[in-house]
Amino acid sequence: MVFNTGAALLDAIVLAVVSMDEDGTYGYKITQDVRQAIDISESTLYPVLRRLQRDGCLEVYDREFGGRNRRYYKITEAGLAQLNLYRAEWERYSNRITKIFTGRHAE
Amino acid sequence: MNRQEFMKRLEELLQDISENEREEALQYYNDYLDDAGAENEAQIIEELGSPEQVARTIKAGMSDADGEYTETGYADSRFQEHQNLTPKDTAAGEPSGKQRKQPNFWKILSIILLCILLLPVIIPLGCIALGLILLVVFGIAGMAVGAVALCIAFLITGVVLIGYGIWRIFFTPALGLCLSGVGCLLLAVGILVTLLVVAVGIKLVPWLIRAIVKLISFPLRKAGVIA
Repeated sequence: MVFNTGAALLDAIVLAVVSMDEDGTYGYKITQDVRQAIDISESTLYPVLRRLQRDGCLEVYDREFGGRNRRYYKITEAGLAQLNLYRAEWERYSNRITKIFTGRHAE
Repeated sequence: MNRQEFMKRLEELLQDISENEREEALQYYNDYLDDAGAENEAQIIEELGSPEQVARTIKAGMSDADGEYTETGYADSRFQEHQNLTPKDTAAGEPSGKQRKQPNFWKILSIILLCILLLPVIIPLGCIALGLILLVVFGIAGMAVGAVALCIAFLITGVVLIGYGIWRIFFTPALGLCLSGVGCLLLAVGILVTLLVVAVGIKLVPWLIRAIVKLISFPLRKAGVIA
């Protein structure tokens, strides 16, 4: 992609992806979902997930799946609040950019 | 590299972080490979890159991440950084670093030895070279002095002849006119030659200085004394 994805945007995308599943989701699926939006390498997401987990935006739990324990990531209350902040911020940001790109001036 | 080798190497590389962090990371990548399915395993391992790269990403994320995730291209800069860092960490990186230094050292040593051995030859040769340089320098300086003297001679002769010719006109007009005419001619030639000498001097002198500096610094630069 031409445009770089900054740390905050990547956090926001990951939080949004995780929040789509009520019961939480797992690393491989998160990576695949994030990849529908932006191009990231396979190893990029682990540090992001780990950090969001440390910051209290995500929580993890293990659940059995196919005879093994699979680690699930679930968004927390704090994570949801953070995600809403990102959403509002993105709304303003993308609107301003779109206005400039489409030639409509801000009133 | 198959999955077992990959995970084993990753575990080795993560020995220096806390057990909790290590378990967490290993579980993630185990899960990841399980969920990707055995048929995609080779491809995923390929895309992950080397275990060294993955380990570095994990560790980079642990130390406060803010510095790592900058606005300048998240995945891209990270990937490039790893490529640059790779030789430092891998075992293959060290000898190549040493090898790069050794030839330089041996080269300088052999040059010094060669210089000592060839001293009886170098000194006379050096004297001859110095003599040649002096010869060229003085030769050019002589030529310059000669050229300036020639100009002055032309100019003075011209002026004197004009003066004498005009004085002479009162006694023998034909000879006087002739002399002052020749004087004018000489003066004109003198002015032309002076202009020529000045023009050549302006161009030649800086070029000559540069050439001499280059000539002297050339052997030094070749030996690597001057970078």
